[in-house]
Amino acid sequence: MMLLKVAWKNIWRNKVRSFVVITALALGLWAGVFAGAFVKGMMQSKVEALVHTEISHMQIHEPGFRDEYQGTYVIENNDAVVQSLQQDERVEAVSERLISMGMLQSARKTSALRLVGVNPELEKKVSNLHEMLVEGSYFESKVKRPIVLSQKTAEEYDIKMGSKVVFTMQDIHGDMKSAVYKVVGIYQTSNNMYDKMTAFVPFALMQKMYDLDQGSHEIAVWLGDHENAEPVAAEYSEKFKELEVLPWLDLSLGLRMMTSAIDIYLYVIVGIILVALLFVVLNTMLMAVLERTREIGMLMAIGMDKARVFRMIMYETIFMSMVGVPIGLFISWLSVTVFGQTGIDLSAAEYENLGYASIIYPRMDSQSYVVVAIMVLVMAFVASLYPAIKALRLKPVEAIRKV
Amino acid sequence: MEVIKTKNLTKTYDDGAVPVHAVNDVSLSIAEGEFTAVVGPSGSGKTTLLNIIGGLDRPTSGSVQVDGQELRSLNENQLIKFRLDNIGFVFQAYNLIPVLTAKENTEFIMLLQGVNEKKRHERVMQLLEEVGIQEQANKRPGEMSGGQQQRVAVARALASQPKFVLADEPTANLDSKSADNLLDLMLKLNKEENVTFIFSTHDQRVIDRARRVITLVDGAISSDITK
Repeated sequence: MMLLKVAWKNIWRNKVRSFVVITALALGLWAGVFAGAFVKGMMQSKVEALVHTEISHMQIHEPGFRDEYQGTYVIENNDAVVQSLQQDERVEAVSERLISMGMLQSARKTSALRLVGVNPELEKKVSNLHEMLVEGSYFESKVKRPIVLSQKTAEEYDIKMGSKVVFTMQDIHGDMKSAVYKVVGIYQTSNNMYDKMTAFVPFALMQKMYDLDQGSHEIAVWLGDHENAEPVAAEYSEKFKELEVLPWLDLSLGLRMMTSAIDIYLYVIVGIILVALLFVVLNTMLMAVLERTREIGMLMAIGMDKARVFRMIMYETIFMSMVGVPIGLFISWLSVTVFGQTGIDLSAAEYENLGYASIIYPRMDSQSYVVVAIMVLVMAFVASLYPAIKALRLKPVEAIRKV
Repeated sequence: MEVIKTKNLTKTYDDGAVPVHAVNDVSLSIAEGEFTAVVGPSGSGKTTLLNIIGGLDRPTSGSVQVDGQELRSLNENQLIKFRLDNIGFVFQAYNLIPVLTAKENTEFIMLLQGVNEKKRHERVMQLLEEVGIQEQANKRPGEMSGGQQQRVAVARALASQPKFVLADEPTANLDSKSADNLLDLMLKLNKEENVTFIFSTHDQRVIDRARRVITLVDGAISSDITK
């Protein structure tokens, strides 16, 4: 107990120095947690946007469709698959899509675009894209050949609500088909790349363009619980062996890696900050030891063994950490909670071009707070090792010679 | 009964061009209850001799026995434990732990020995009373005069019930009155409780009170007078 008391009192001998270390620990921890929460929020917003807007929980295609986007890859037993999904209690909604890569033409520009034929009422249940309209409506008008496209596309093609565009594509027989569409809605997601490449028309119009009576290229599925995506996909993959059934994690390049790497990013960021912090603590504790050379030498002279000297130095660092870490955790929790609700507006940085939301909501789960706090404590322990070892190497006789 | 016995004790520093014999072939014995001053000019080897006797430094050759234990045979950890249980130290600059009170400073050494709380408390109060510092028990070193701090250092040195107390220039930083008071206290402890004191000193007041004066010149004993 006396050793703990001495260590505790020692840290208050030089209040300014202890304050610097405690502040460094608190700010370092805050910086680590907040930077990690920011990255985590950024990543998760991207994942959520991808799933909710673009890919849904599960998709079914003919094998090869996703590689070539050829109109001929029509799911032949489409109705059987859809019926099976609709009877599954785990499935909340199913939407069939017909997709074509073709050329969109306006008075100003002609360029490649992916046109997706959807049944609006079913599509609303598997994607929230209809909530992202900035102008017009999601196929609610009585226009005969409506098209919904993105703000980016509208800007690039210099088209407005009510403008007409021409879409040219190959039908199922390989013949070129063109059709005129009237813009009825303009949407904007947080992913500019997706926006630039994707437009929507009613499913029936795409059937006509393709000259198809039945079938689809893509069946998008929304599940009651996204955690079920992998087992459900595996089950349907087994059931419909001739089809490619993929859960959301495998539907976008790098999504699986990104999801599993979110926590790794957090710990890498915290780790880098902690390395810098380690040298602050090490330097300060080393100064504290060197300043007390005579005193530590005297303690060893009167009979304080090395284990106790070592423990005394370690306790001093641990005590400072025990003051700094809760302060740092509180500031971190406060800032993550506040900015987690208000968000951080990064629209000026144009992160949408990279597929990230323009407003980032930092996020951090309670487990990560604990892990980061443990990382800081371990860092403090490691940082105090060298000063403690330095103290052990002192020769008591040198202290006596100084008197 | 002999507490300290050295035989042909030599300490040579060989880091310069010419080897320096800080302690040169010193053989002496000090009995329990002695009040001995080791005197000599600066550089005569007083402190080095006390450091070797106190187990803080190792001789180049010769032997040093404390209470029959050959110190050269002990490793570093054993020496620390040996010092804790057998030797009390009083330093010139007091060297108390600045963050602890007089009471805690005195108690600290018993805590290292693993003495239980009740015994510690009893002994601390007794020692502080003996050295006349009980009024200052809850003061920290920074709140006490030099003389008072050195009295606490004496109490601390005695707390472990050592075989002897080594005092290296204990009066060097004290004013005349405080030095006299301290020496009177040590003499009293020597007479009444048979505490063995060994001083290294230049101070004539210490020499006057000492019953045995060992004079060192160039690391060797030039005279050893018992009054």
